[in-house]
Amino acid sequence: MVIVEFLIKLSQGFGIGALALATGLLFGGIARKIMARIQRRYGPPFTQNFMDLFKLLSKGSVSHGWAFDLGLVAGFVPMLAALMFLPIGPFTLFPSDSSLIMIVYLMMMAYLGMAMGVLASGNPNSAIGMSRALMLMAGYEVPFAAVIFSIYFFSKTGYLTQIVAMQSGGFMNWNIVKMPLGFLAVEIVLQGMLGEKPFDQAIAPAEIASGPMVELGGKYLGFGMIQHSVALFLETGIIVDLFLGGAPNFWIFIAKQFVLYFVVVLVDAILPRLRVHEATSFFWKLPLFLGILQAVIVIIQGGVLNV
Amino acid sequence: MSSLLALLLVPVTGSIVAAIIQRYRLAERLVSFSTFVVTLLFLIDIRVGDAFTWSLGFLGKNIEMGLQITPLSIFMLYMTIAFGVLLTFFDLTERSKMKSFLLLLTLAASNWIFMATDFLSFFFAWELMGWASILAIFGGRRTAESRHGALYYAMMSIGGSYSMLIGIFLLSNLTGSFSIQQNVSYLVSIMTVHPWWVLGIVSMFFVAFMVKSGIFPFHTWVPYTYGESPDGFVPYLSSVMSKYGIYGFLIFLPLTLSLRNVPGVLGLPWPNYTLVWFGSITAVVGSVLAFMQDDVKKLFAYSSFSNLGFILAAIALFTPIGLTAGLFHAFNHLLFNGAIFITVVAVISKVGITRMSEMGGLWQKMPLTFLTFFVGIASAAGIPPFAGFGSKWMIFQAMISHGLIFATVLLFFASIASFLYLMRAFHAIFLGQLSHKYDNVKEISAIGKITEVFLIGALIFFGIFPGFILDPINSIVGSFGLKPLPTSGYEYINGFFSSVNMVSIFIVVIVAFIFGFLLFAVSAKHKKVPQEDNYTAGQIPKDWNLTPEMYQFSYDFYEPMDKEIAPFLKIKIDGFFKGFGDSVEYLGSSIKEIFTGNVQIYTYLAIGGLVIFVIAGWIVW
Amino acid sequence: MSEWTEIVDYFRGRSMWMLHYCTGCGAIELPPTMTSRWDMERFGITPMATPRQADILLITGYLAIKTLKRVIYTYEQMQPPKWVLGFGSCTINGGIYWDSYNVIERLDKYIPVDIYIAGCMPRPEAILDSFVKLKEMVQNGEAKGYEKYVKNYEWYKANQDKVLKRTKPVLERIEKVTKIG
Repeated sequence: MVIVEFLIKLSQGFGIGALALATGLLFGGIARKIMARIQRRYGPPFTQNFMDLFKLLSKGSVSHGWAFDLGLVAGFVPMLAALMFLPIGPFTLFPSDSSLIMIVYLMMMAYLGMAMGVLASGNPNSAIGMSRALMLMAGYEVPFAAVIFSIYFFSKTGYLTQIVAMQSGGFMNWNIVKMPLGFLAVEIVLQGMLGEKPFDQAIAPAEIASGPMVELGGKYLGFGMIQHSVALFLETGIIVDLFLGGAPNFWIFIAKQFVLYFVVVLVDAILPRLRVHEATSFFWKLPLFLGILQAVIVIIQGGVLNV
Repeated sequence: MSSLLALLLVPVTGSIVAAIIQRYRLAERLVSFSTFVVTLLFLIDIRVGDAFTWSLGFLGKNIEMGLQITPLSIFMLYMTIAFGVLLTFFDLTERSKMKSFLLLLTLAASNWIFMATDFLSFFFAWELMGWASILAIFGGRRTAESRHGALYYAMMSIGGSYSMLIGIFLLSNLTGSFSIQQNVSYLVSIMTVHPWWVLGIVSMFFVAFMVKSGIFPFHTWVPYTYGESPDGFVPYLSSVMSKYGIYGFLIFLPLTLSLRNVPGVLGLPWPNYTLVWFGSITAVVGSVLAFMQDDVKKLFAYSSFSNLGFILAAIALFTPIGLTAGLFHAFNHLLFNGAIFITVVAVISKVGITRMSEMGGLWQKMPLTFLTFFVGIASAAGIPPFAGFGSKWMIFQAMISHGLIFATVLLFFASIASFLYLMRAFHAIFLGQLSHKYDNVKEISAIGKITEVFLIGALIFFGIFPGFILDPINSIVGSFGLKPLPTSGYEYINGFFSSVNMVSIFIVVIVAFIFGFLLFAVSAKHKKVPQEDNYTAGQIPKDWNLTPEMYQFSYDFYEPMDKEIAPFLKIKIDGFFKGFGDSVEYLGSSIKEIFTGNVQIYTYLAIGGLVIFVIAGWIVW
Repeated sequence: MSEWTEIVDYFRGRSMWMLHYCTGCGAIELPPTMTSRWDMERFGITPMATPRQADILLITGYLAIKTLKRVIYTYEQMQPPKWVLGFGSCTINGGIYWDSYNVIERLDKYIPVDIYIAGCMPRPEAILDSFVKLKEMVQNGEAKGYEKYVKNYEWYKANQDKVLKRTKPVLERIEKVTKIG
């Protein structure tokens, strides 16, 4: 029985992973199309990212040793693992295990693995890119923490499933209505998490030769692409669960995710790149202020929890 | 009963033997290792509630002294001794200049601290531990600097000890007893009548504990001392000795339970709230200073007290989840800090320098050490399913449940900053380009490998089955009169807001990894290239005489960040102590002839002063 | 197995990432090709930053011997499958530098060129035309320059050495110029 259950979970997990990857790639393709239309171009077909990924996995590549291989595999695998704990629409693979902070920290493992891989390549450009990515992370994680704080304190639970359940019953119950400032902060944070302009310092192609990806080619770059696509799904998915009340089915879920991502793409299209320290300190100003203000409001409303 | 005495006598005997045969390095190390093992064997026999008392007649008074085992003390004893076994085992083949007999003396002292039931023996053991560790620091790599480090540590410790001594005598003057239990219950009884009086006395003690744990603003000695002490001794200093302060805090923190009904901040009594802030600031200061360090031992010294800040912030809440989280983090910190420092010591012993910007690429030469370090930093960063995740996760929940928004965000920032400095150390030591200087570097000896494998195993095991640690912690929480958190099996961590099943996370991660490697295997083939074959924007490395050192970016890794945090760095706590020291020096300029600059004379003076102080106190009282 | 190869080739043709090695005046034709006016991204062709990531090496303009060395190094850092586009008459016959002492005349003596784009300068339309042509060749399994390079490596190497051995590194006494350690 345990084996059957395990196999069912395994196939479901595989399905979730495939769906999330496909959604992420599709979003990426649509974003490229949107970007092209904003620039009055025709743009690539929206399936372009699938073709790119297929090509990358079938192309030859160089490896700098086992730490490089291990690091890059560890760069996308924990993302897929974190995905298994995310409530996607009505479906959750492990309903009793959807702790928000746990998912966030599992995603950190992917960044750690990716960092290990690209740094093992021994290229200074990748080290510079990594140092920039980490500094940016020190920026955006702080307002994100304030938002997580507000959500925890407001919902009095840490399970994403329960946070979603609390928002059921119409638009007015969504956290975006109850915590608009927190949502605003987290939408800005999303821009930084996805590394879109003005926060794309880490992969500045003309400046540091695409930073962390400088030595990646073929399947390694493909793994990077998988990581980015799944992270896109995961990060927007977390925000949908936190603020937009989850979704009754998968299609509405990805529609909500796309709305979030659409804003990111539009901002990406019109803004130039900030300098590294400017980007970091930006996150410590406006988004952090919004996040903390939201938390203070929540505390004043909610009073002290009975410990 | 006899086992309790054995916990003191075995290390002392071992210490004497080790001191006699210290010329024979291997024998000395074997004695040290076997002493730890024997102590551990005696410890297995000991149960909570064991006690032993004797009395000491002095100046016509009869002073009751004793040893007793509480759930907290047995937890601390296991942590100390088990880690010591591991460290001395690792040290069998290392050639650092650590004096084993001092380590064993420290062990005896720490055992006594954890078992003492009266302030006199507590203080005596505290001083023994302090002085033994100060002397142990002298054998550092660079003689002059290690003397300076030891002196700095000694001065801070003496300050803390004087403060604690005043506190002890004030208390015993009030109660007429040295018993810890009686004194604490006396403080509880006058808590509501004279809160400031109690606060004053307790802060006297807290200064000593803060100095020992390196809590802000008494953290300044930590980097100097850790950075200069013998390589073999640093893991013990940072993993074990910093926890003594936490033990001290926990003696007095139950006092705040009687303040629960007095209005405070966000449902927390003022003293707790203040201590939470001390903890949070320590965490941030440690993390931020750490990522600007280039000396690997100093970097992890900062990291060490930053983690102590996390622990203090959690236990200062003194709620069930806060206390559980703090003690759990204390245990995890012991493990991952041990793994990090032991690998760092292994690397230093092979490359012979501590400057990280001159290392790099060592993963090719020391694969197991590299993996151990990786697991260590993953745990330190709080990444599931390794140990370290559970405690950080619980600390955040404990903080959030009290609505401490600013302190929580600070702690989160410290946690992210810790990710930054860990990655920087990881990159600078192990990743990047391997210099030709290190072509002959070898992986450490078999004994070192066994230690490392054990540490990896422990970090993963206690990550997946946190219940094995949470159970004893729950009994500690119960012994403080708090309601322990619910338990539901060894693989669960139950927090305030949610619970996590570590085994299911572990299985998911493993399955995902299997899938990842399958994808890796079926994708197109890769070609292994040497590190010289790298993207150089078309330049041919040989033509430009490009050396690996030139192609390694690790110096000033977070340079752009300096601009942002520069204003905060102008605040120099160090400078305050220095200024304080200068004015003391000015006052004492008339007797300056005595101070020849010889550290030994300073030490004698300090001891002499202490003795005079003790005797004077006794006579007056 | 051949069906699988066809599928792989189909997708390879639809997704080609380009590294442009711009010498001389040809670089000026690339920005319009990439941006709104001609938009090469609609063929799935995107500029990339490093040779590890790229499929196409586009060489615009004349190659001095100094530059040729870098081009060869870059080409060898790329991973198969990889294709070379020679842009402009300079890569075909030396162009206006045909009689220069330090400029090579025919690129495909040194690395295998899949397609030459003739003209001085070729317009963006010509570049796009070459991309479409390359795509067809890749999808039909005809663009096998990289295999030719491996098979005839001795010949290419001899040609390369003939010109490269004439020159020495620019900085002879490197120790004096660059600080080491």
